Amino acid sequence: MISVRNVYKKFGDLSVLNGVSLDILAGEKVVIIGPSGSGKSTLLRCMNLLEVPEKGEVWLDDQILTEVDPDLHPELQTKADRKAFKKQYGIDINHGRAKMGMVFQHFNLFNNLTVMGNMILAPVELKLKTKEQAIKDAETLLSRIGLLDKKDVYPATLSGGQKQRIAIARALNMDPKALLFDEPTSALDPEMVGEVLELMKDLANDGITMVIVTHEMGFAKEIANRVIFIDEGVIKEESAPAEFFTNPKDARLKEFLNKVL
Amino acid sequence: MLYNLNAGLWQNCVKIFTSKEYMNMLFEGLGCTLLISFGAAIVGVLLGTLVAIVKIIPSKGPLMKVLNVICDVYTTVIRGTPMALQLFIMAFVIFAIRGFPMEIVAILAFGINSGAYVSESIRAGILSVDIGQTEAGRALGLPYSKTIFKIVIPQAIKNVIPAIGNELIALIKETSIVSMVGGLYDLTLVAKILGGGDKLASFLAPMTVVALFYLAIVYLLTFVIKLIERRLRASDKR
Ligand SMILES: Nc1ncnc2c1ncn2[C@@H]1O[C@H](COP(=O)(O)OP(=O)(O)OP(=O)(O)O)[C@@H](O)[C@H]1O
Ligand SMILES: [Mg+2]
Repeated sequence: MISVRNVYKKFGDLSVLNGVSLDILAGEKVVIIGPSGSGKSTLLRCMNLLEVPEKGEVWLDDQILTEVDPDLHPELQTKADRKAFKKQYGIDINHGRAKMGMVFQHFNLFNNLTVMGNMILAPVELKLKTKEQAIKDAETLLSRIGLLDKKDVYPATLSGGQKQRIAIARALNMDPKALLFDEPTSALDPEMVGEVLELMKDLANDGITMVIVTHEMGFAKEIANRVIFIDEGVIKEESAPAEFFTNPKDARLKEFLNKVL
Repeated sequence: MLYNLNAGLWQNCVKIFTSKEYMNMLFEGLGCTLLISFGAAIVGVLLGTLVAIVKIIPSKGPLMKVLNVICDVYTTVIRGTPMALQLFIMAFVIFAIRGFPMEIVAILAFGINSGAYVSESIRAGILSVDIGQTEAGRALGLPYSKTIFKIVIPQAIKNVIPAIGNELIALIKETSIVSMVGGLYDLTLVAKILGGGDKLASFLAPMTVVALFYLAIVYLLTFVIKLIERRLRASDKR
């Protein structure tokens, strides 16, 4: 579904990702953990090109989102070859992003629009749905999360938990193939963490592909098919949660788990 | 001396307000000042918005780079030189054409001047909108232009209205130098004419009356801006 291939990313002199490769399968729930500043957000943001990697490629199914990396394609010898390859397999980045929802730590609901306005802006502007259809789907989603009565209010009046659930619903109204979550509960008051995690568990049962950066270890154990530990810009360990949490191999991961568990 | 001036003030004010000729002159001056101010305000806001957007766009192509340099030169030169000089250049160099309407020369001169200041306010307003808003728009697949126009600018306007209001108020008062290039009878020039020897032979009353006119315009404008601000803040509360 999402394939990250040998991705490097620098901010100025700071190397944040140093050759990360990761294949996320359709329907898989992948949880990414790691110390602060290890590059978790950057990796997630490279998947939908909010950050553009210097090197390496990102694929969505059989379409390439990034530029073609010559090192990954020795058979494409000239610039023209690579251009032709990109033309054949490339996808417009906005089309690619429309297929991957992203949920942010700080919700990022559009402050100038009502809840309904937030829910329908992108699907209608991008002509994925008619306005009527987008509203109908939005109402179904809002009922599902129990917030239909909030459809005409502005985000400023909502609690953090409500905002995040609506941000998730907004992403779902695009009918995405995958959802990327960047610490969706980190900015919430403790009593609101539960409602957001419940919704995410619900979605996990629906079978949508999910990539989740989180510090909620209990949640990771419960829903992940695979847990990934990232440190110093590389993947240090990846395995099923049972193995990952009970029998970690990497020394840094052991240390990290000791601290957070 | 001062006593004399004061005694004349009341009498002359009465003279002004009861003379049809003087009142007509004043209202003509008011019309001229308002025409130049509002014409220049429209030019300034449009130009300022355009320049702000050019400066905000993360420039890549050579066209954007050239536009960026032009906009930088524009704001630097306009903000770094006196308004009166800009007005002279506009009237005596660029539009030194016999019969060219001075209203247009003035509107362009003041509009281009205020655009440089407005662009900085708008740019600051756009930058003050949380980057997360842009990221959320782009992450949903919205193109940059749609994200800016549907999400960022509507929020920036709210932040920018007070600054633009101040700029417009400054603009109205600044137009009082327009008579330096001749051909236009604005409020300030009318006051000067009314104070002349063939009219009232004293400047105190006409200057006071015209000051009140300016005050009234500025007061009205301040009121309207407050009203707009309150409207726009609705989405913060409801
Ligand atoms: N836009 C940017 N410009 C410069 N440096 C950045 C930028 N974004 C991230 N960084 C730096 O890159 C490093 C990795 O950042 P990243 O946000 O990916 O870490 P993280 O693992 O998500 O950390 P956290 O758990 O704190 O969210 C950090 O040192 C951060 O300061
Ligand atoms: Mg992060």
